[in-house]
Amino acid sequence: MASVKLTKVKKIYDNKVVAVHDFDLDIHDKEFVVFVGPSGCGKSTTLRMIAGLEDISEGTVEIDGEVVNDLQPKDRGIAMVFQNYALYPHMSVYDNIAFSLRLQKVPEDVVYERVTNAAEILGITEYLMRKPRALSGGQRQRVAIGRAMVRDSKVFLMDEPLSNLDAKLRNQMRAEIILLRQKLDTTFIYVTHDQTEAMTLGDRIVIMKDGYIMQVGTPTEVFEMPENLFVAEFIGAPKMNIIKTSLVREGDKYFVTPFGAKIPVTGEKGKKLLEKDVKSKDILLGVRPEHMVLGGEGQAAIGCTLVVNEMMGSEFHLHVDTADGTRLIVRVPTLDLDTAGRSALTAGQKLNVTFEGKAMHFFDPETEKNLLV
Amino acid sequence: MNNKHHMGLRTLNRVSNTAIYILLIIISVVWLIPFIFIVLQSFRVESTYQVGYVIPHQWGWQNYINLWNSDFKRWYLNTFIIALAAAVLVTVIQLCMSYTLSRFRFKLRGPLMRFMLILGMFPGMLTMIILYRVLSDLGLTQANAVPGLILVSVASSGMGYYVSKGFFDTIPKSLDEAARVDGATRAQVLYKIILPLSKPIVIYTILTAFMGPWGDYVFARYVAMGTSAGYNVAVGMYSWLTNDQIARMYTTFCAGGVIVAVPVTILFLCLQKYYVEGVTGGAVKG
Repeated sequence: MASVKLTKVKKIYDNKVVAVHDFDLDIHDKEFVVFVGPSGCGKSTTLRMIAGLEDISEGTVEIDGEVVNDLQPKDRGIAMVFQNYALYPHMSVYDNIAFSLRLQKVPEDVVYERVTNAAEILGITEYLMRKPRALSGGQRQRVAIGRAMVRDSKVFLMDEPLSNLDAKLRNQMRAEIILLRQKLDTTFIYVTHDQTEAMTLGDRIVIMKDGYIMQVGTPTEVFEMPENLFVAEFIGAPKMNIIKTSLVREGDKYFVTPFGAKIPVTGEKGKKLLEKDVKSKDILLGVRPEHMVLGGEGQAAIGCTLVVNEMMGSEFHLHVDTADGTRLIVRVPTLDLDTAGRSALTAGQKLNVTFEGKAMHFFDPETEKNLLV
Repeated sequence: MNNKHHMGLRTLNRVSNTAIYILLIIISVVWLIPFIFIVLQSFRVESTYQVGYVIPHQWGWQNYINLWNSDFKRWYLNTFIIALAAAVLVTVIQLCMSYTLSRFRFKLRGPLMRFMLILGMFPGMLTMIILYRVLSDLGLTQANAVPGLILVSVASSGMGYYVSKGFFDTIPKSLDEAARVDGATRAQVLYKIILPLSKPIVIYTILTAFMGPWGDYVFARYVAMGTSAGYNVAVGMYSWLTNDQIARMYTTFCAGGVIVAVPVTILFLCLQKYYVEGVTGGAVKG
């Protein structure tokens, strides 16, 4: 059992800057929770408060039901992996991993067993006698993870562990962290600014901005039902298209009217609007680039001009301008287009785009809250 | 054309390097002359007074034997004890101070650092009279000058934190944090992580702490107040240079000079690699 509970946790720095506001979160045993948000949103500060590396100004942090506010990091039953690995440069990989065990006066034969075990799991056995400077970034990160693994801690904290790696290695290590999680079967709290990492790793994602929690939910929840405009734009790449438009109610039917088009709101979304008895009003309409399609007939079509075409391999990212100059992004799978269609996608090309009613998200222009939440 | 240009550059480099080396050799020779002179004089046995030539006419160990039979042993031991004690205590205090100022954030940290900076600008000599009073009241003058001088060397050592703090500042804080999460106390972080990574600066601190009292004259003379048992080498040997002694003791004085230089020279030869790293590392990185 290792649950973590944060109640009204607040961080106020000496210069009165509030980095984290009333942070409430219940992390269950063996859950993988990801804190994600842009720089300065307070995610690392929160993690460091859980670790005991940062004082908690107000509120309580409980690990396994015990309030740990005044405990030293070493007494909290946590292990931590740092962004810059924080390996001890003067020690060999073996000594780095064994450091915490030796401090606990664990017998040397047990140290040997645990270090070699961890090294085997992480595939770094052959580097055990090397110094950290003789390792590549990925190997160093493995050592850092190994150092955290041998502690048999209740909670595993990771502070942007993949940020210093190149893109290819990052993908590989991400998969390895998923495997590691299955092997360790413990509670993980992971901090990142990369929404892809958050989506792929987390059981639940905590999206933060300016020290506030914007939404807590599973990857599917935050992707399909963002509670506010910030989450909608932050999760998903390329980011969601936001269109200033009107929601029009005609009897029991709803329409949106972007750029002079008129597109019906269908499926679940339409039903929910009706349930909430939403009246006609100005809204911010959100549509993800992957939910926009080329073409569209009659009233549903929005006339655009292609500005930039990014060929991503499996798909095209088309940056298009509408008649009033609003920039939209459309994701088109490469296989959806034949050769002629692909070669026609050049700057200046006129084309129509549209989207389906079920793909829409509606936000209040003032509060920026999702109308359906 | 390109090749010609390349050749010109190489010649220019060679010429400037040669000039630099010649200049450095001249400077080294000039610097070495007094040392060579004193070594030669220490082996001169035909007379004990100052002479008009450099190379001895008769060579021998007599001056060193005289040294052994004089109070020099006592002075040497005094100096060694003071310098060694100062080296150990000053290093411990200064490194703890530097680590504290580098890693901890506490109220008045900034004002304290500025205060010490300003205090350090006053010449130490200004405090001499009051220090003598304090030491005298404590009974640490004259024959008891050794503990008194250790106290004087160690008392303000925390103020010399600049270079080592600058060095500690370059060691990432996340190493401290990782070690603390791993279960280390603050003290363990210092001696298991920070100090092994700061070898150059530790050695630099030890050397400078040792050198201060080793070559001290003014304070040592003042505190010993004419009592030979409390002299260090500098004060004791200077007493041989008085008008009535110099003719008898001059060559012995030179032998003493050589013996005084030996431990320091050995220390520097062994540790010069770290010393240079310490001097430049602390300054540049800090």
